[in-house]
Amino acid sequence: MAFQTQGSNLRALLVEDIKVNRMILSQMLRKFQVETTVVQNGKEAVELFLGGETFDIVLTDNLMPIMTGPEAISKIRAMGATDVMIVGVSVDANSMEEFKDAGADLCVPKLKLEILEHILQETRSKKNKSSA
Amino acid sequence: MTYCSHSMMCVETMWKWLHHAMASPSYVIYATAGVGFDARTKEFKVDYLDEQFCQVEDLQDEANPNFAEEVVSLFFKDSARVMLNIEQAIEKYPKDFARWDAHMQQLKGSCSSIGASRVKNECTSFRNFCGEENAEGCTRSFQKVKREHAVLRQKLESYFQLLRQAGPSGTATRPAGK
Repeated sequence: MAFQTQGSNLRALLVEDIKVNRMILSQMLRKFQVETTVVQNGKEAVELFLGGETFDIVLTDNLMPIMTGPEAISKIRAMGATDVMIVGVSVDANSMEEFKDAGADLCVPKLKLEILEHILQETRSKKNKSSA
Repeated sequence: MTYCSHSMMCVETMWKWLHHAMASPSYVIYATAGVGFDARTKEFKVDYLDEQFCQVEDLQDEANPNFAEEVVSLFFKDSARVMLNIEQAIEKYPKDFARWDAHMQQLKGSCSSIGASRVKNECTSFRNFCGEENAEGCTRSFQKVKREHAVLRQKLESYFQLLRQAGPSGTATRPAGK
């Protein structure tokens, strides 16, 4: 499979408590040459934003220790980070509503390479438009 | 049919061939790298993994040539820990279904990521029993989770051993007339 990068300089934040999932999702993002920061729960994600870090895209699980994905998303949006693309990733069917209500742009049950590619292209277009 | 670029064949096909090979005493599979081996004993079933496993294999590249095996190895290491936590939770916190469910949710998540569909289905069953507050159902279901997990481990160990025997670009080819 050829992975299009199109000069990608996207910065991603991966929020995931399960090691196997972190490993797989990190490798997926690496395939698209996305600069990725990884944290293990929603609280760590919020702290990064509070510290002034910026990201083009956040990929987050739902249920995690200390702070869930939707909780973190609500706090991140409340800080004024309305431009960052936020994607909820969870196999749990009940998660979709929670993610949407919290302010996620998208929810996917599983992240496949084709889907990720499309999401990253959309993120890149959004970023290019806002910087134009 | 799901095609895996790494193994140069459809994972489903490879597992089906192995299933037939194991059932027939005289069935032989030759790897194109010239390594031949007789596959006669164990049963192999096709439906233990879903297409997500191929996604994992497709992530392999020159920089990470053993990525799938590393992920699987991490899965079994981590899932063994989680199952021990569940076992201890069932013993120490009787009928604490929320706690039991939280642990099983972790296992289900990682099963889904590597395509371990049968283990994942048993995890779902366990979680359903938690929702019904059915302790006996949970206990029965957990035994099934452990069984499926053990079977999957055995099959994946065999699978990666086969790939190693076939070599980096080998494929398993059925001899003519068999």
